[in-house]
Amino acid sequence: MSHFHVVIIGGGGTGGALAHDLTLRGLKVTLVERGEVTSGTTGRHHGLLHSGARYAVKDKESAIECIEENTILRRIAPGTFEENDGLFVAVTDEDVAYSHSFIEGCGDCGIPAQRLTKEEALRLEPNLSEKTIMAVRIPDATMDAMRMPLRFFATAKKNGASVKPYTEVREILRQGNTVTGVKVVDHTSEKSYEIGADLVVNAAGPWCGKIADMVGVEVPIRPSPGVMVAVRGRWCNMVINRLNTSSDGDIVVPQRGLSVIGTSSWVVDDPDKLGLPSDHIQAMYDHGALMLPAIKDAPMRAAWSAARPLIGPRKADADTGRELSRTFKCFDHIDEGVEGFVTITGGKATTLRGMAEAAANVVCQKLGVDEPCRTRDVVLLPYTAYYA
Amino acid sequence: MAERKVELKVFRYKQGQTPHYDTYNVTVDENTTVLVALQDVRRDQDTSLILRHSCHHASCGTCGMRINGQEQLACVVKVLELGTPTVVVEPLQNAPLISDLVVDMAPFYDRYNTPEMPYIRASEFWPKTDLPDGIAQYTRYENCLECGLCVSACPVAGTDSEYLGPAAMAAAARVVAEPRDSDPEFALNWVDNEHGCWRCHVAYECTEVCPSDVNPGEAIMSLRGALTRRKFRRVFGLGK
Amino acid sequence: MQEIRTTHDAVRPKNPLRAWFDVRKRNLGSWAFALNRLTGLALTVYLFLHLAILSKLLQGESGWNEFLALARSPLFLLLDIILIFGILFHGLNGIRVALVGMGVGARQHRRLFWVLMVIGTLLLLVSAWKVFTI
Repeated sequence: MSHFHVVIIGGGGTGGALAHDLTLRGLKVTLVERGEVTSGTTGRHHGLLHSGARYAVKDKESAIECIEENTILRRIAPGTFEENDGLFVAVTDEDVAYSHSFIEGCGDCGIPAQRLTKEEALRLEPNLSEKTIMAVRIPDATMDAMRMPLRFFATAKKNGASVKPYTEVREILRQGNTVTGVKVVDHTSEKSYEIGADLVVNAAGPWCGKIADMVGVEVPIRPSPGVMVAVRGRWCNMVINRLNTSSDGDIVVPQRGLSVIGTSSWVVDDPDKLGLPSDHIQAMYDHGALMLPAIKDAPMRAAWSAARPLIGPRKADADTGRELSRTFKCFDHIDEGVEGFVTITGGKATTLRGMAEAAANVVCQKLGVDEPCRTRDVVLLPYTAYYA
Repeated sequence: MAERKVELKVFRYKQGQTPHYDTYNVTVDENTTVLVALQDVRRDQDTSLILRHSCHHASCGTCGMRINGQEQLACVVKVLELGTPTVVVEPLQNAPLISDLVVDMAPFYDRYNTPEMPYIRASEFWPKTDLPDGIAQYTRYENCLECGLCVSACPVAGTDSEYLGPAAMAAAARVVAEPRDSDPEFALNWVDNEHGCWRCHVAYECTEVCPSDVNPGEAIMSLRGALTRRKFRRVFGLGK
Repeated sequence: MQEIRTTHDAVRPKNPLRAWFDVRKRNLGSWAFALNRLTGLALTVYLFLHLAILSKLLQGESGWNEFLALARSPLFLLLDIILIFGILFHGLNGIRVALVGMGVGARQHRRLFWVLMVIGTLLLLVSAWKVFTI
């Protein structure tokens, strides 16, 4: 039986960043993912590098995490983002009223926000609605939802981490109350084998409730899907947000030759069963067109659902998930009497590095490793190195 | 929502075993893509079925496969729009098979990455707008999704294992057209050989299957043009 | 320059017959490509056949006269037409490839193909007329 220090379950952005972090701290790492890396939630988000402004009024904790990570990621992953900034656009009087608490919230969270007149906004983005009243510029950017996290995987691999896609966890191995490894099946050959570990990290995003079930511990996770629509044509250069509280279709992210409109929100029990409601697709068109009217007639390229891993009571009454915080949490299940098993979940693509740092701190403290986090400064390899 | 039953005939291969096809019955509606149908199979019928996927909107390029014999991105092909009672799904060609629908993209990226291809370029959309303070130029990602559809469809790649392939040469042509920090001479030298742009025999299948308007066929031809002009200049001593 | 891995696939070895001639679900360019390979191969075979037949001259006059009689049979003349088709297609498609490669009509490669094919068809008809009337 091969023996590694840490096994990470889940090949999303968090798992990749955690593998990178722990490898830099000198640990041996094996990451297992049941499909291709970034095939779960990570690859499917709308590709926004959050400034945090979206959360600056009601969810300051997330907002501060976002702007900090936004700055760090631009530094450690140069050449990865369409660094075109973003606008929050007011198209109703209610939006304008909201702008005051919005700009104030951005100030509280350290997010640079610049008020623009209608004319200034339209000179930047000629496709904006004639109904635009004013706008606020904030440092959003577009990321490639797969290639940005892939840089973490690439760097971790280069530094010695073992990344095993198509490797599904079938069982969490235990001795008494201590988790000692995982039993996996390699789907490229359908062969099963065991991987021993001093510690197992559950980084399965919306699936982390299912992994926790294998150990018999509780993770308060609400898989909360949203529908996104990609239309042909790039109808803006900057990221265009609706200047109001978070709602359906409140953002348009330009990406390559497409514009991605996001997103709706509901909650499900099974992150493998999301569905794709037609009325949500229409809602994206309708709401997106309020800010960029040209979207109304833009041909659809794709519509899809992705499940956010939101932290909230697992089997509570159905709600939309909008009220749940976008922050992340690391759970050491020693509190439930299980040793050697840690869960990191919640959060957003933008905060993947921060999530990894928090989880790695817990892991290192548990294993007695006294190494500082270096991921704030180490520049990542290009994503193509993942395939080298 | 109009639900219909469709048969998926899927290429299967596990390392050390013989390839074969498995057939699955799936229920789909008008929004169901081939990708989602395959994920449903994985969830409800056969957890051993593996495939590559990530963004689900034709941006990452991982879910390229042959659907009814044609190279496509499974995330943007709706099952019912294919109009066949049986949908045949096979992995891409001209790439080493790993398992099921998963091929090894390493040879692809060996080629793709060689001309030091940046994947951010100047945005051509609304070039005459004001720019926000502190932003020198709007940028955007390259068109190429690195999906490998063109390599799979190319008849020359079907026989020459060392052929650079349409995607890589389209990337080289981008470097020649817009060098940024890369060296266009390096890119030109790289394609100037029997496995490079001279090997193409103008089937234009790459351009036909490209899901992202890269037009590799024309790109390869532009490389030939650039090399021919360079040779003429050298032969007649017209300097650089 | 870095080492580049080949696209060789041990499970699905490369098969020229399939790569070149399986034109199901393919487009015009692939048909042209396949026909170009086919005519190329056929013309190569013909070249050797031609040399073998010419060598009959070495066996004296009677053998050659026998062959000439055969060569005037309608079936043989039909083979001549197929030969001319091969030469015309391969040559004209070669012109298309060369032109497109020099940047002439790169965007119009389909139209270029059909223009050349119209020329080819006319030449083929004229040749057929000549073959059967002389």
